[in-house]
Order: sequence, then C-alpha cells, then structure tokens
Amino acid sequence: MESAQPAAPPVLGASGQTPPALSPQCEVPASDLAAPAPLPNLTKALDEHRVINILSVGSPASAALGEASGVKSFPVQVTDILEAALKGVSVEITNRGVDGEVAETAADQIRSEAAIKKPDLVLWQLGTNDALARVGPGQFTDVVKNTIDWLRDSQIDVVLVGLQYTSRFAKDENYNAIRDALLQIATDEKVLYIRRYDAMRYIAQTRANLHLMESDNFHLSDLGTQCMAEHIARAMIASLFVKRFRPSPN
Amino acid sequence: MRKPNEIDFWRGFALITIFINHIPGNFIERFSYRNISLSDSAELFVLLAGWSMRLMIENPKHPLTSGGVVYRLWGRAFTLYIAQTFITEIAIFILAAASIWLDAPFLLDWHNAGAVFHQPIEAHIGLVLLTHQLGYFNILPLYVVLMVAAPVIALIYRTFPQLLLPLSLGLYVLTLAFGINFPSWPIEGTWFFSPTAWQLIYVIGFLLAGKTTDVGAFARRHVRILRWIALPIVLAGVAIAATRYFPDLADLPKSSRFFVIFDKTFLSPDRLIHMLALCALFAGAYTSLHAWLPRFVGFLALLGRNALNVFCAGSLLSLCGQIVRYMYGGQIVTDVILFAGGVAIMAFVAWISEWHSRSQRQREVVASALPSPFRSS
Repeated sequence: MESAQPAAPPVLGASGQTPPALSPQCEVPASDLAAPAPLPNLTKALDEHRVINILSVGSPASAALGEASGVKSFPVQVTDILEAALKGVSVEITNRGVDGEVAETAADQIRSEAAIKKPDLVLWQLGTNDALARVGPGQFTDVVKNTIDWLRDSQIDVVLVGLQYTSRFAKDENYNAIRDALLQIATDEKVLYIRRYDAMRYIAQTRANLHLMESDNFHLSDLGTQCMAEHIARAMIASLFVKRFRPSPN
Repeated sequence: MRKPNEIDFWRGFALITIFINHIPGNFIERFSYRNISLSDSAELFVLLAGWSMRLMIENPKHPLTSGGVVYRLWGRAFTLYIAQTFITEIAIFILAAASIWLDAPFLLDWHNAGAVFHQPIEAHIGLVLLTHQLGYFNILPLYVVLMVAAPVIALIYRTFPQLLLPLSLGLYVLTLAFGINFPSWPIEGTWFFSPTAWQLIYVIGFLLAGKTTDVGAFARRHVRILRWIALPIVLAGVAIAATRYFPDLADLPKSSRFFVIFDKTFLSPDRLIHMLALCALFAGAYTSLHAWLPRFVGFLALLGRNALNVFCAGSLLSLCGQIVRYMYGGQIVTDVILFAGGVAIMAFVAWISEWHSRSQRQREVVASALPSPFRSS
C-alpha cells in the first residue's frame, strides 16, 4: 500500500479550475480519452477532508510492478498526480492487480477486497484477458454490470480502464467485441471509462516515433506506463472538476 | 485398487467440475453447479480431503501410532508440495512455449505468471515458498498447509476430541473478524484461499467421517431432519446464485461485513452453511446412483481414487484448454471437444495410475485359479 501525509483541506487544481496538463508525449484529445462521469463517493471523501482510498484491481499487474526497473508503478504515478493536482489531499492506493485474470475472477476479488479495505473508488483494468481467453461479450457484460451495480449500491465509485491498443489485435473479432461491450457498459452504467485503446491508438498514429510498447508489441514500455497513469489521473480529476464547477443548467 | 465408494465418487465429480470451471468462458461451464450454488467444487474438494484424512489415520487394518500419524501426514504434505511445484513449473513451461510458438507474448502474463518472467529472482523465491501462486493453481498450496497442520488436528482429536470443533470454529471466527490470510509475494496481496478460514471445512470433513462418533454420528442419526433444514438453504442458494444477488456493504454494519458476504477467500459462513446443506441433501444419493448408473459411478470413482494425479492433469489440461480457445475461438464445438478430450485424458491418467495395482491383482486372481502345485508360495 502506498500512503501519503495526513488529510488536509483540499484545494482543487494547481492552477485554477482546470485539470493538470498531460505531458507532451502522452497528449491526446479529451474525446479519445474519457467522457467525464460523476464520482460521488470520491467527491464526498474530498468534502469530508478524508484520506482517499483507492483499490486497484485487474490486469496487467506487471504494469503495476514498476520499481524493479527504477520506474514508479502506475498506481504510484496515479497517486502522485492526484496528490499534486488536489492540493492538500492524501491518497492511499492498494494494488491488488493480478496478471492475466479475467473479469469474473477480478469481480470476486473486488468484493472480497472491498469488504476489507472499504475504498472510496475501485480502479478496474479489464477486458484484455477476457478478449484473449475468448470469453463471450454477453457473459463479460453480465459480470461487469453486476459488479458495478454492487459497487454503486455499496457506495463505492468505479473507474473502468479499458483494453490497450496494439496493432496485433486491431482486427481481432473478440478483442473488438469486448471493447464494444465495455463502451456499452460504461454508457449504460454512467461510469468513468478510460478508453485506453483510443488514446494509445491516437498516440501511435500521430507520433510513430514514440513507443508505448516494448519490442514484443504487447507489454507497456516505461513511457506507456507513464501515459496510462496520466490518462487515468487526468480523467478522474476532470470528472471531479466537472462535478464541482459545471455551470448550473439554469 | 479399492472398489467404487461414495467419497471417491464425489471426489471424481469435484475433479471434473474444477476442470470445467478453470476454463473461463467455456460453454460447458454454464452447466456447472456453481451457477446455481453458493459454494462450489473447492468446498467439496476440501471437505472430502478432511474426510479422507480421517480414513487414512483410522484405518482399522493399519492402526497408526501418534508418530506414525505425523509421519504419514507430513509425508503426504511433502507429496502435495512436490505436486504443486511440479505442475506450476509445467504450467510456466506451457505458457512460455505457447508464447513462442504462437508469437503471443501476452501469454506470459496469464494467471499471475507475469512476475516469473518480469521479476524472475523474486518470483522463483515466491514459487518455492508458495507465496507466489499462479491463478487456478492455488488450491494445492492450501491443501499443503492443511496437511502440514493435519497432525495437530489428529493429535488434538486423539487427546481431546470434544475440543477440536470449538478450536477450529474459534480460529475461523478470528480469521473472519480480522481478515487473517497468508501474504503473497512478490505480487502484493494475499492467498486466494485463507488457510485459517478453510481449515474449518477440512475439520468438519474429518469429523463427519466418524460414523459412530462426533458430528458424523449426530448427522447420521438426524439425517432426515437435517435434509428438511437443508432443502430451503439449497433452494435459497439456487435463487441467490441464479440472480447474482450480493448484499450491499453500505447496508451492513461495519463489524459484521465479514460474516455475511459471499466470499470464497475467507469461506464466508453462507458458503460454508450451503456446502453443509448440500452434504445433508445429497448424502446417501450415491447408493441410488450406484444402482441406476453403475458405469458412470465407476468412472467418477476411478478419477476420485487417483485424485492427486487426476487433479494435476486436470489443472494442466485446463490451461491448455484456455490456449486452445485463444487459438480457435470460443465456439461450442471447440468447448465440447475440449471437455470430452480433457475428461478422456484425465481418465487415462487415472487408469495408468492404477496399472501396477491392477496388474498385481490380476496376477493374484490367476494364481488363485491355478491348481495348488502351481501356486506361488
């Protein structure tokens, strides 16, 4: 578990009312990243000046290993960005990612870990392993929706982190079916969904000299891990800002 | 080679169920009983393990001293440990070889194997110490711990039989209350099965095996009443599992969270009670099944008699099945072929495991049929 200083009253945004900028290498249009979605329990934790507890679940855990190569793991990077942007806020992130697990296994783990940790938010990477294990999109949808409903009823927010882009699976039928299913789930359930596939594809197509992947064209490079963390943190902060600063409809 | 019996039959049933459940997304899995049940084959497997332990140490033909009990049980624990490390290494080989053969580097990440390739030094320490376990290869480590602790269970039972269940129950309650589990490393986390929680069902299996003493005798005396109690529990399990209902954490008092959630890691009480209800409801069903379907019963008992070998084969076959599904897609025909082929290979493993004892038995039969001058002395 990564922890920081005790909670203090938050001051949103280092520079006024906009989320922190992405680094130039990781820059993508907001339309290719995520549509803001309400994070009521995270917002409540901020309002109550509590330490924010995040549970990180799903695959690839190897992206979360970090440190061995001297690069911070992505959950730690997410924590750093959130704490820098939400001045005075402490974030504790517990990483329970397991390499190669399908959504059904992760769902069991979420219920078990959520009961222990009682997080404000679950950061759930999912889809890639179900797609490659050829789990049907219908079964995948049932499991994910059921878990999201349970988390919502248990007053825990969820952020879905989608499949990564790799040219190898760009035309894989089940890969795309699971990606479509995930988008539909996020739309139906109105949860924050990081469209990692679109973001990574945008970078690959506009900055071919940048390598988000290792030479095996599947595992994330250090830059890929950094961009993943930035994209997640940026989308979360943007959702918090939208909630707090969206103009009144009337 | 023993004749088919109830324990071997249900163990064979659990082995096939585990094989099916460990190929995620496959068509046959939809017919697995866990879809209409709170507990699954893991509970059944561990309960039967405790039951078998009782039979092992209380075999009237081979009575064991306390020293003999420790020797036999720790010997068994060592065998299980060797089996776990062996199949894990073979699983790593399968993933590595398939990743090269299919040019599919993502296979190196499947089932928590990533650390073996990305952090090999730490991961290999973890593999040997059982702190690093591959996904779906995590029930034998539990079994190893239970078998290491088995002499304590046996000796408590021999000395203070009335104390065993209260002590086991106490450890279970403590585990639930404080979330006690073994740590995993180098991947931060905990074991998939908390041994201090799952020991309870192992001990219950041990006690239920007693036909004339303990809980086992009580259950047999009151089996009709227990069946009536069990029926609504099993039916409620069908409804809950089929509708995927889970109680919300927000509705529960904090202190009681561990005691109500449907949790496999900590064997939450609902799963435990449901498993015991299944036992009560289906106890004795073996006799009818044996009368109606003797070949089917004989087949499952064959698997159950050779549980460890079949389990190891089934674990590796389910991993191969996942790779086949990646290669050829998740069509029904693929899944049916995988199921039929997998079960056939598991049966072959069981059959070959009994080769020696079967040959010996045949020699004895032939020898006994010969005229006395030709009989070997």
